[in-house]
Amino acid sequence: MNPRYRLARGIRLRCEAGAEPLLLVPEGIVTLNVSAAAILETLGEGKSVDEVVAALHERFDDSEASLAGDVRETLEDFAAAGFVER
Amino acid sequence: MNASAAAVPAPRSLLCELTYRCNLQCPYCYNPLDLGRSSDELSEAAWLRVIDEAIGLGIVQIGFSGGEPTLRRRELVAMTERATAGGAYTNLITQGTFLDDALLDQLLAAGLAHVQISIQAPERELAATIAGTDVHERKVEVIERVRSRDVALTLNCVLHRLNHDSLPAILAFAEEHGIRRLELANVQFYGWALRNRSALMPTREQVEHGAVLVAAAQDRLRGKMDVTYVLPDYFEELPKPCMHGWGNVAMTVTPAGTVVPCQGAVAITGLDFPNVGTTTLREAWYASAAFNRFRGNAWMPEPCRSCDRREEDFGGCRCQAFLLTGDAAATDPACAKSPDHGIVVAYRDASSVEERWAPRRPQPALP
Repeated sequence: MNPRYRLARGIRLRCEAGAEPLLLVPEGIVTLNVSAAAILETLGEGKSVDEVVAALHERFDDSEASLAGDVRETLEDFAAAGFVER
Repeated sequence: MNASAAAVPAPRSLLCELTYRCNLQCPYCYNPLDLGRSSDELSEAAWLRVIDEAIGLGIVQIGFSGGEPTLRRRELVAMTERATAGGAYTNLITQGTFLDDALLDQLLAAGLAHVQISIQAPERELAATIAGTDVHERKVEVIERVRSRDVALTLNCVLHRLNHDSLPAILAFAEEHGIRRLELANVQFYGWALRNRSALMPTREQVEHGAVLVAAAQDRLRGKMDVTYVLPDYFEELPKPCMHGWGNVAMTVTPAGTVVPCQGAVAITGLDFPNVGTTTLREAWYASAAFNRFRGNAWMPEPCRSCDRREEDFGGCRCQAFLLTGDAAATDPACAKSPDHGIVVAYRDASSVEERWAPRRPQPALP
């Protein structure tokens, strides 16, 4: 119904000032855009799409409606790749 | 001839081969025939300096391999800790027999992110035949131990003629043990595997049937298990984009501290590879003649030089070119356009010949 998403085991987000954000995965490096990094950064121990949207809305002041579609799509893409689990 | 320093990208990944020692004797090992002496292995202090220098160069992926890296458990833990502190992702590539609870606890506390465990076959007897020792049950215990912990786990099985027909059983084994990532890589012919090539070469039927089986499994297991199947070079018509280019992304440090663009490159004679005992990783990467030798495409012969795929596959594998033709600057014979492609065709077509193999083991010491 309303699944909670979090980074899968052994998947690490690396966000450092002055460097492009990276998702570090088994023997691989995924370069993230700023919005994907922001979404993954909010996940912590597990968040629903609504919770991620609320957190991003507070941070970026985008409309919640425009955020929700992006967030769901991004999380599903990462889930399909095995980097995020529900 | 050499790429200009300004054009050289920073390295992103480092493979540390902690030792060539191993308690298994798999005939498909890519380690060199000359396994060297353990007394020549880098010290813990030297390895930690390698890690520090790697972090300083911008490396974010670090692998620990061998031989069997857990034979140097203290160094392995210390290096994992240092790499993690530097923000790097750490991968342990192991056959698993020494990964007990105590070591796993230490490694996870040090920040280890990913463990890749290899099996020789899903059946105990065949696994023992290939490994030269009966450790399959121990590995199964280790797989169960690791899958319950907070770390990524990949199961790996190198495929060759002796175990290729076990592919359905490998898939079943992986499912039974809740594996999320399964890597089925056909043997590539370097080191001991090259020595044992005629015994290990899969048949065309095995390779093609394997591809069909894996495609079906990928469909069936989508979302549950990620299955990768790597074809053997000798059965491809295009070469692999080896290491994404020589000295382009990755480097390896061997047990005795030699810095090479990939673990197979130690076989290439005539290139004076740097050693961490006398140089820094930075000098090795940016300034050594060996790393600059095959950068860019000015070194390429025809048909690579005018090939529209030269920026995609970089002429293939330098080590394979050397091992098959004696010239590391030749087009990889795996490529159908190579004038030497007949070499791989002859070997793959001879793959049904029965032959014994030489178990990997240290060579007798020279007098």
